[in-house]
Amino acid sequence: MSGSRGFSLPIRVVEAGGLSAWLVEDHAVPVVSVSWSWQGGAALDPGGQEGAAVMAAALLTEGAGPLPATAFADALRDQAIGLSFSADRDGFEGGFRALLPALPEAVRLASLAMAEPRLDEEAVARVRARAVAAARRTLETPRGQAGRAFWAEAYPDHPAGRPAGGTAESVAALPVDAIRAALGRQVRREGLLVAASGAITEGELAALLPRLFAALPAGAPPAAQPLPAFRRFGQRVLPVEAPQSSVVFGQAGLAASDPDWEAAQVMLRVLAGGGFASRLMQVVREQKGLAYGIGATLDVLFRQAVIVGSVATENARVAETLAVTREEWARMAAEGPTAEEMADAVAYLTGSLPLQFTDSRRVADALLTLRQNDRPPEWLAGRPARLAALSRERVATVGRRLLAPAELSVVVAGQPVGL
Amino acid sequence: MPPVTRRTTIRTAAVLPAVLSAAAPAAVLANPAVQPASPDRAAEALADRPLFGANTWTLSNGLRVVHVESRRVPVVAHYLFYGAGGGEDPPGRSGVAHFLEHMMFKGSRNVAPGMLSLAVAREGGQDNAFTSRDVTAYFQNVEASRLPLVMRLESDRFAAPLIPADTLEPERDVILEERRLRTDSSPRARFWETFEAALWGPQHWHGRPIIGWEPEIRAISRENLLDFYRDRYAPANAVLVVAGDAREADVRRLADEFYAPVLARPYRPRERGGAAPAAPAEARVTKRDGAVREASFMRAAVAPSLTWGDVRHAWALEVVAHVLGGGQGSRLHKALVETGLATGAGCSFDAEAAGASTFTLSATLRPGVAPERMEAALDEAVARLLQDGPTEEERARSVRQMTAGALLALDGFGTATRMLGGALSIGVPIETVEFWPRRLREVTSAEMAAAARAVLGGAPSTTGWLLPEQPA
Repeated sequence: MSGSRGFSLPIRVVEAGGLSAWLVEDHAVPVVSVSWSWQGGAALDPGGQEGAAVMAAALLTEGAGPLPATAFADALRDQAIGLSFSADRDGFEGGFRALLPALPEAVRLASLAMAEPRLDEEAVARVRARAVAAARRTLETPRGQAGRAFWAEAYPDHPAGRPAGGTAESVAALPVDAIRAALGRQVRREGLLVAASGAITEGELAALLPRLFAALPAGAPPAAQPLPAFRRFGQRVLPVEAPQSSVVFGQAGLAASDPDWEAAQVMLRVLAGGGFASRLMQVVREQKGLAYGIGATLDVLFRQAVIVGSVATENARVAETLAVTREEWARMAAEGPTAEEMADAVAYLTGSLPLQFTDSRRVADALLTLRQNDRPPEWLAGRPARLAALSRERVATVGRRLLAPAELSVVVAGQPVGL
Repeated sequence: MPPVTRRTTIRTAAVLPAVLSAAAPAAVLANPAVQPASPDRAAEALADRPLFGANTWTLSNGLRVVHVESRRVPVVAHYLFYGAGGGEDPPGRSGVAHFLEHMMFKGSRNVAPGMLSLAVAREGGQDNAFTSRDVTAYFQNVEASRLPLVMRLESDRFAAPLIPADTLEPERDVILEERRLRTDSSPRARFWETFEAALWGPQHWHGRPIIGWEPEIRAISRENLLDFYRDRYAPANAVLVVAGDAREADVRRLADEFYAPVLARPYRPRERGGAAPAAPAEARVTKRDGAVREASFMRAAVAPSLTWGDVRHAWALEVVAHVLGGGQGSRLHKALVETGLATGAGCSFDAEAAGASTFTLSATLRPGVAPERMEAALDEAVARLLQDGPTEEERARSVRQMTAGALLALDGFGTATRMLGGALSIGVPIETVEFWPRRLREVTSAEMAAAARAVLGGAPSTTGWLLPEQPA
């Protein structure tokens, strides 16, 4: 009953021109998705230039080579090519999805975007205005304020504590040269991870890789400053005028390479996973009606997971919600899951595997995530057997090792009563 | 989760790097390579064959069934749509449809409260539900061999939900928290609610929030919920959609086993055919909000849809929305964004609606610019479109960009179910979904001009500004 019957994802490794790409070939629909990434992202932004990488990523699709912004956009949209670039806290990603007839044009435009971005004055001004507005809008809601404060408190001396997109002030002051420098640091021929999925053969992908990346400068992006330990900061309250408080809570997690990674996933699924099945959801929503939803997951940055959760509740009930959350945290640390909870969580994690690979973009992105976490290609195929072999004791042990209510750091944005 | 309509699919396919979900029809599997020489010809070839190749039939109790086969991944999406949403809430009781959606998870004749979700999760599946103005839908995505399980669970609450009295109050608290989360905590969501009420009136079926006005959520009784279930959740007012790795014969057999025994009963059809308001409740709303940091503009006009008013206008308006506000290269982008008056500007229009729809223009003001100046530039852009109509080149470009990605709806999971179920539940025939690129290509620039004049040049409309407390 726990099997993902007959499901397998044959991953092949394609090498060409010094690059390697993971491929899942699937000709059911005439579409191809390719995703790639470098380490770095906002972590490479120098102090005072926060937001440079994110803005640089946005500008890659705002004109390249002979094509000004609108001509470039038309070239993409005339053939429904979904090309995009993004930067986050620890990485810089690119990717496209294209129908087969549009594949050559998708490769040409993606390569052009990376090799010859125009950074026209008009486009820079427009994208800057949009980025400033986005940075300001994030702070319009209690949730945006709570998230911002949580990371700033947890990593006060590392770029991971800054908003990846910068602040309204840093983005407004960002010189074009800083954006150009961000691209120069980041968009290189080396340090690349590539994944592809869809109606493309190994040979076709091998031929495509050099066309995509050969025009980029040699070398790899510089290494980011190592991530320090998560700083436990206790409880912070941000006064925000709102009927409901937004709460972000979390604590140190474990490395993606930790041998107990999957045991920790099972333990967190039982405690705080998605849907109605978790202990926190049962007590906070189903039994007490305290919130619409509550959950916590492993948020990975620099191959290191932080346990981060969130909940939103009426100001008068924040204290109760937090008390209940801490109780459940302590109970899991003390007792671990029951045998039945273990079986349910393993059945879910195993059975839901095929649902993560239902379209070409999800497949390519999932492969890329595996590579970013240094998993070998056979990791996925072995996952059901590894999950099935986990003992209750091992999952309880990882709960004991990781979870402690005293370790929980909490930001509350709102007007909470009795904190 | 927002419902996927044909329009959102167009937009995500053409513009946004969002993940789509859909399923591939057997026809594509059997003959995988649709590779004509040019994308234009690919699009034309597509127009002559159904997008999903869906099978449809009706059970003896009136339940319509839609089946789309795709063997790409061993998963199946199982959706049950009801042709009733927030628009059908009784007067003074906005939020009933959504409240009932929550209570449908509180058990049925053979399934204990909360057990449906737990049983689906135990099998590795995902389950959820959503309420829109037009429909309420319940769904599960599961590994293919679990289809009988979810059909048994869903048909049980289809036939006889418990709606237990003792779970009503905790669930009301959950819904009030949901309202605080989605609406009360966001100045933009608060404004949108005020704005829709200003155009249609706060008690009009289109002017009330789907989640409900807070005092009305508090007033909803168990009787209200039972009445809504009895009046609207009848087999003949529902559509079952199964898409994925399931054969038609098996779906027919399972539908007969689980859904056919549910007794037919009369239902109360929705009443959306009436005239739209002759004038907006309020023609202009300006609101200052201390939480707002970026000023926003919005204008919405009452517009025809595929089920109300002049249907040909509805198709033409989809193309008008792209010409006027379809991102880079559109008229509003040129007039407002490239000139530095706004940080963003766009149009939205959904022809797939039960009853009257809205055509919406929106923009975010660039800090330091006077709102009047931006609005004047917008007025001028609209006036020019109404006076001269779109050029033939604009029409061709928009239709090309809107239809180029139609096939991308096959790359995924869930899009077929949402597009087909959503359309059938509001009375739009399945062919409209299967052949939508052809309909768009038939639109002429003269029709676009006429539709734009009818809606932007005379239909009731409301204009709104959401401003920070201190000018930015």
